[in-house]
Amino acid sequence: MGADLVPALDPAPIPGPPGLLVVLWVVTFFLHLLFVNAALGGAIFSAILPAALKPAARRPAALFLAEVSSWAISLAVTFAIAPLLFLQTLYGRFFYTATVFVAPVWLALLVLLMAAYYLNWAAKFRLKAGKSADLPIALSAVLLVAVAAIQVAVYLIQVQPALWSAYAARPSLVLFDPAYLPRLLHFVLAAVSMAAILPAAFPRAGEPGPGEAARFGLFVALVATGAQFAVGLWLLGVLPSGVLRGLMTGGAAKLAPLAAGVLVGVALLGLLVRAVAAPGNVRLARVALAHLVAAAAFMVVTRHQLRDLYLAAARANERLVVATQWNVLALFLAVFVLCAGLTIWALVRAATDRPGPGETAA
Amino acid sequence: MHREEELSGLERLRIGPEVSMDYPIWNVAVGGGVLIGVIAVLHVVVSHFAVGGGIVMALAETRLAKRPDPALRALLKRSSLMLILVSTVFGAISGVAIWFVIGLVHPAATSALIHTFVWGWAIEWAFFLLEVVTALAWYATWDRVRPRTHRLLIVLYAVAAYMSLVVIQGILAFMLTPGRWLETRGFWDGFLNPTYLPGILFRTGACLLLAGAYMTLAALRERDREARLRLVRYLAGFEIAGVLLAVAGLFAWKGALPPEVQAIFLGAKPLIVAVATGWRHLFFAVGASALLALLALLVPRAVRWPVAVVALLAAFGVLGGYERVREGARKPFVVRDYMFSNGILVSEVEALNRNGILSKAKWAAHDAEPTPVSRGRAVFRSECASCHTLDGYLGIKKRTAAADADFLKLFLTSLRDDGAKWTARPPQKADFPYMPPFVGTDEELDALVAYLDSLKAPVTAEVKRGS
Repeated sequence: MGADLVPALDPAPIPGPPGLLVVLWVVTFFLHLLFVNAALGGAIFSAILPAALKPAARRPAALFLAEVSSWAISLAVTFAIAPLLFLQTLYGRFFYTATVFVAPVWLALLVLLMAAYYLNWAAKFRLKAGKSADLPIALSAVLLVAVAAIQVAVYLIQVQPALWSAYAARPSLVLFDPAYLPRLLHFVLAAVSMAAILPAAFPRAGEPGPGEAARFGLFVALVATGAQFAVGLWLLGVLPSGVLRGLMTGGAAKLAPLAAGVLVGVALLGLLVRAVAAPGNVRLARVALAHLVAAAAFMVVTRHQLRDLYLAAARANERLVVATQWNVLALFLAVFVLCAGLTIWALVRAATDRPGPGETAA
Repeated sequence: MHREEELSGLERLRIGPEVSMDYPIWNVAVGGGVLIGVIAVLHVVVSHFAVGGGIVMALAETRLAKRPDPALRALLKRSSLMLILVSTVFGAISGVAIWFVIGLVHPAATSALIHTFVWGWAIEWAFFLLEVVTALAWYATWDRVRPRTHRLLIVLYAVAAYMSLVVIQGILAFMLTPGRWLETRGFWDGFLNPTYLPGILFRTGACLLLAGAYMTLAALRERDREARLRLVRYLAGFEIAGVLLAVAGLFAWKGALPPEVQAIFLGAKPLIVAVATGWRHLFFAVGASALLALLALLVPRAVRWPVAVVALLAAFGVLGGYERVREGARKPFVVRDYMFSNGILVSEVEALNRNGILSKAKWAAHDAEPTPVSRGRAVFRSECASCHTLDGYLGIKKRTAAADADFLKLFLTSLRDDGAKWTARPPQKADFPYMPPFVGTDEELDALVAYLDSLKAPVTAEVKRGS
């Protein structure tokens, strides 16, 4: 019944090579995810700091993570736009339908996100003024987890058109999808791991030796990464049988990203064990962070493959019509290279340019 | 496995209207249009401030390099926090919110726009990325980098923000005046449409006006009287430039509209008289802005909090009034002459009259029982619910309360007859009816009548005992 309700393809052709759209989608989603991890994980890590550290020890780390988040949330929102564009071009009929089922919640996501952002700024100003910011940080963490929970729900609804009749009548059913909780946990744990490494990987200038927050962060990252293996197995175990079969029997192309992600994860676990023993080793913490970023990249590819496997039946007779707008596509690539170059230049210049002797600052 | 087929050139025109779409319907109590309007107004004000603020702040910081002015520097520093708090997240999120809400209320239209302009949006996104990063860097580097670097950051921000407006204007204007795109389906024919440049002219003016008005308000916090008057006079220059550009843009924009739409501004259609009055109100706001800007230029000491607040509200009125008129003039389309506000394509009217709207509207029909009232409800959801609620905004119960079944049938039949006029070419083409045509079979029309009739409160006669 549900599969009959999949809207027809848009009558307009796809304006670019679908393969290129997928690459752009996956790459920009990966970048989006890095900033999401920093913001979401940073908020959660900062929220649990009071349970482990005294105010004097936790405040610098909380301020550092609030400063990171003030950039990360802005960039996460900015980098959400591009994958949303490419997703809608290729999978709009699944995406729009899923969002209509949960429309009020879908719109509330943006309100929660905005509130989390302003709470983060409030926390930053309070910490700078030497005041406690435990409450705004905790609220911000709760709101960002809620945003992640909504995203996971929309993902699971859109990839299962066979269940749409049921979801249309009662969208909250998605919370009982066997994959819902492990998928959300998988996502949140990755975020916590990444953010918890940051204080050790980027110690604040002038700080003598490893801070308590860096020590605690590495421990939290180790625990979260260890838990990630259990949650990952749980998630694999609850995938619909057709999806799991497609993943396991899809050959090297299907299995390689997952296998690479797991291997990098194992290496990350080893690195974190060493880093916990040597919390002052900044280089080791940065190598661990790089491994985490690599693991996230592989998992993003796997996530995309799983979406295709979920939707294989619904798209079986799909005939994508393509009419590439080559000149506009070329213009986009040129503008993107220019803007990305200027963005990097601006960041480097802002970080390195300082007034010389006798010069005044802006 | 899905297949791909590459089309080239005019082959894309072969894609026929027989391939139609259907999405579930979100019944929002306040009306989808109202929700879109509220979010759009918020976003438009913030985004235009972000663009205009960038231009004003870049020019002001460039001026500082030649003529140091501690008061102006302090104003810029204060305003930079406001710029990032409203621009980098509120602006971005409210922009995504418009997208979310039109995807919920008009998924078919959103999909059509995405398929036509995805690369345009992608270009805008690239500029937006530069805009966000330079805004954050500019705010973070006060008192840290050399003045030249700081200036470069805000200039880059201003250029990126303005370019994002230059790009998005093409898509916004396309929806009202798609121009040659209707024949060619070409990106540039849609993008460089008749109201594109006039719209840019107006929006540039509105950006400057809004930024000047806001910063004047912020400048009143300056304690030094001389410095405050100097700032007010300096910012009034931006407001006056903004008013002049906006007025030039408005007249050019009106001149670029199709004649039948222009006629609306003269009050040609009593049922959409709001557009005509909106046009007049827009000029009241422009006039008020011009007078207050002149006052600030000539008598800056007269600009106190109440005056500055009124000037800011007038600037909101200019921008909001334009958006209201633009949206009103587009009725009853989402994309003029291509797609109606209920997602029905102009090109499929004939086929749907033959095959029935419920042949397309799978979601509206999937839980309908085979009774006239139930099927009529499905017709209502697929054709009317994107604009009409039951009891709220444009509530259908109130609008049909006085009409009996015969009148409803007559009215809907006449609306269906309008369909042929929409598919015709000028001069036979319909001019500016206020609603899309009714499309569907006789049976569906009767079902809709039955449903609308069923919404009325039962009439009971009170009989006095003993009479």
